[in-house]
Amino acid sequence: MSALFEAHNLSRRFGRVQALDHAEFDVGAGEVVALIGDNGAGKSTLVKALTGNLDIDEGEILFEGSPIHFTTPHDASEVGIEVVHQDLALAPHLDSAENMFLGRELMRPGILGKLGFMDNSAMRQKAAVAFSELGSAVRSVVVPVGAMSGGQKQSVAIARSVAWANKVLFLDEPTAALGVVQTKNVLETIKKVRDRGLAVVLISHSMPHVLEVADRVQVLRLGRRVATYRAADTSVEELVGAMTGALDKKEGAA
Amino acid sequence: MTTTSTPPQTIETTASHDGLLERIKSMQSVWILGVLVVIVAVFGALSPTTFLTAGNITNIAQNVSIWAVLAVGMTFVIITSGIDLSVGSVLVVSSVVAAKSMDAMGGQGWSTALIGLVLAVIVGLGWGILNGFLVAKAKVPPLIVTLGTLSVALGIAQIITGGLDIRAAPDVLQDNIGYGRLAGIPAITIIALIVVVVGGIVLHRTRFGRYTYAIGSNEVSARRVGINVDRKLIQIYALSGLLAGFAGILSLAQYGTTTIAGQSLTNLNVIAAVVIGGTSIFGGQGSMFGSMVGLFIPAVLQSGFVIIGVSPYWQTVAVGTILIAAVYVDQQRRAAATRGKGVSTA
Amino acid sequence: MRNTITLTALAAGASLALAACSTGAPSDDGTAPAAGGDGNKEIAFVQGVAGDEFYITMECGIKEKAAELGYTVKTQGPQKFDPTLQKPIVDSVTASKPAALLVAPTDVEAMQAPLEQAAQAGIKVVLVDTTVNDPSFAVSQISSDNVGGGAAAFEAIKAAKPAGGKVLVISTDPGVSTVDARVKGFEDAVKADTSFSYLGVQYSHNDPATAANLVSAALQKDPDIVGIFATNLFAAEGSATGVRQAGGEDITIVGFDAGPNQIKALEAGTVQALVAQQPSTIGSDGVEQADAALSGGSVTPTIQTGFTIITKENLSGEGGDAAYKSSC
Repeated sequence: MSALFEAHNLSRRFGRVQALDHAEFDVGAGEVVALIGDNGAGKSTLVKALTGNLDIDEGEILFEGSPIHFTTPHDASEVGIEVVHQDLALAPHLDSAENMFLGRELMRPGILGKLGFMDNSAMRQKAAVAFSELGSAVRSVVVPVGAMSGGQKQSVAIARSVAWANKVLFLDEPTAALGVVQTKNVLETIKKVRDRGLAVVLISHSMPHVLEVADRVQVLRLGRRVATYRAADTSVEELVGAMTGALDKKEGAA
Repeated sequence: MTTTSTPPQTIETTASHDGLLERIKSMQSVWILGVLVVIVAVFGALSPTTFLTAGNITNIAQNVSIWAVLAVGMTFVIITSGIDLSVGSVLVVSSVVAAKSMDAMGGQGWSTALIGLVLAVIVGLGWGILNGFLVAKAKVPPLIVTLGTLSVALGIAQIITGGLDIRAAPDVLQDNIGYGRLAGIPAITIIALIVVVVGGIVLHRTRFGRYTYAIGSNEVSARRVGINVDRKLIQIYALSGLLAGFAGILSLAQYGTTTIAGQSLTNLNVIAAVVIGGTSIFGGQGSMFGSMVGLFIPAVLQSGFVIIGVSPYWQTVAVGTILIAAVYVDQQRRAAATRGKGVSTA
Repeated sequence: MRNTITLTALAAGASLALAACSTGAPSDDGTAPAAGGDGNKEIAFVQGVAGDEFYITMECGIKEKAAELGYTVKTQGPQKFDPTLQKPIVDSVTASKPAALLVAPTDVEAMQAPLEQAAQAGIKVVLVDTTVNDPSFAVSQISSDNVGGGAAAFEAIKAAKPAGGKVLVISTDPGVSTVDARVKGFEDAVKADTSFSYLGVQYSHNDPATAANLVSAALQKDPDIVGIFATNLFAAEGSATGVRQAGGEDITIVGFDAGPNQIKALEAGTVQALVAQQPSTIGSDGVEQADAALSGGSVTPTIQTGFTIITKENLSGEGGDAAYKSSC
């Protein structure tokens, strides 16, 4: 599978800390890649560097085979790359449809749209369709997000990103604060997104979740990719070993 | 690859928000509307021949008109979790500039009045942009910014006039706007109503309004989705200033003088009204309808107390009590909502 | 009655003509429609500001006279001396249709239309203390002769400093007609007396600290100031502070009005004399005029009331009686 989105030799230094040290990364369309690593391994830095939130010192990023440079997150959005942040970045007083379309409102046709009038019913319909397609736990698009459960909020955030990401979706710890049922729901959603042909990048601490949903697992340690596994061929023990360095494997086997 | 079969979902898409009546029902302000109805009923019962007369009701409406115009801007500002203490002073300085210019031009006709109107609005807009710029770009807290401009604007009004009120509103302004009537309704009330309705539509139906809520609800998320928060904030404070300038010309029309020493409690009264009406000072929540209900409560209380002859001190006690009660209920609802009880807090 | 200068309306008229400012001209009293119905014995009193001793004393005078003549009184007042707050109150009073309205307007222009509306509704309007631009709708206007009050203040300084010298006025804000008239009266009286020289008026904006700064600065320039006329309590307190700050000695400060705080200031020696208005008389005269208008008697369009000068010496006697009350 040729990589849809890849990075080579990424380095970034913060003062004396080498946050990224010639890191490699790649993800293909219709694939879930999990990024794992201990705290401080460089996961967040790598995601920021890949999505226009952070400049890199050296290295190159390729999108659909050609070099690309993002100066702002907006640049990444333009080509179809979205991030679901850990804090979700939802407006609690707005309902899920309003959140989903925030910043990209559908306007009424004609003069009313020009005057700034929004097409609320169209947005609600589309939001409802998006939620049911993703098998989301959201039951109403007109209830404020602040009144929803953690899982529902997560699925609103994912649905919002999916609605605008047509190439790559990054998910930062999407299951960190969720219960069993809600987690299952989010993982199902991730699979559905992948089945649409998107590249999904999952950052997670939870090995069982990673193994359940990911196609490949990339392990980061000390700012570089130390191993890549096919999820089907690996185990929690092996992943933990790679993360901690107990089991140093030559990278690139997968 | 087959998708795991999901049970057909029914997602609510047309809830209570759609009908105006339903919308009002779902709002924070619904219980406060009940309070207003009770107050009106009590005074109506105590003093049916004087309180519930068309004359008295028109007077109340006329007396809240200027505050209503200010409350429109204030509602936007408070929904962003901001505050604008400067509205009273901006009103005064705008009316001073307008009165001074109209006085210099002479003439009692519409052309003079129109120039006064334009000047008042421009002056108000200028102060609003200054407030917005300091809040959004200089990152000074809105309480401090507008406390400062409250003082500066009033000072400038006093410098321009030497502290002497200018009593020079063109006759057309006073006769037609200040005390004119259309089908028995005071012209100033009709004008205020138009401003309120337009303000309500902008707040509840347009993208500008949506962004106002988004900024107050979660500024970080608003920035993440690409909303130019700084520019929106400047626009919102500018709107508040512009309306204060417009209120300045209305005040000139109603009082015939620049009321430099007056308008002393205007900012607090307007803020109290907006908050009583269910707009949260923490932002993200509020409605234009609520602000209007909140505006009428103190006005109706005062009128009722005067008519039945209750000491003026009790009015302040009553309004203060309602203010605290309103915010208390607001907090309770908020707590219920964050516990995930699904309370509808539109 | 050595210290009491009671100016009659006639004398006031003379000084009015001299001053050529102050209250508006008396009016023809034929424009108001017929009286507010038989049997209505209710009088409304709208103060300039609620909780002020001057207006409370006036209210006492009103209530006393009203009880005597068989009227009931309802009193209302805004939280601040502010027409934007007073107008809604007047509107509501108009809606409640009392037989007569005694009102102290807070602005000559802004209160014009609301009070005209009250008069058009058949309510007999009596203006007390302050007035409006065109008071022709009112049956009567009763106020202190403020020009005379200013002159009285000068008499008090002259009594304490017969040798003469430099005198200064610390006022509040320009544009308040009654205060301007007091200043005018004082100024005219000083200028008529060659042994005194007038240093002009400074505005303290109702802030004692500003008054203190103004006075200490004035004393830097003219250390030989003998007397200061402070047109209200804050101005008086600030003036006293300013005198102390600048190390000034033996300067006579004359204050205006005689509320409990002013009396305390007099007792403490902060001020040496007070020019007291007669709010109680204004009130009772107001009721009399309203009654006359309602019962078809003869109405006096303009009445000016006099002053009492209070010093430490007469505080136990007539001076004490002239002090304002904080409750009836």
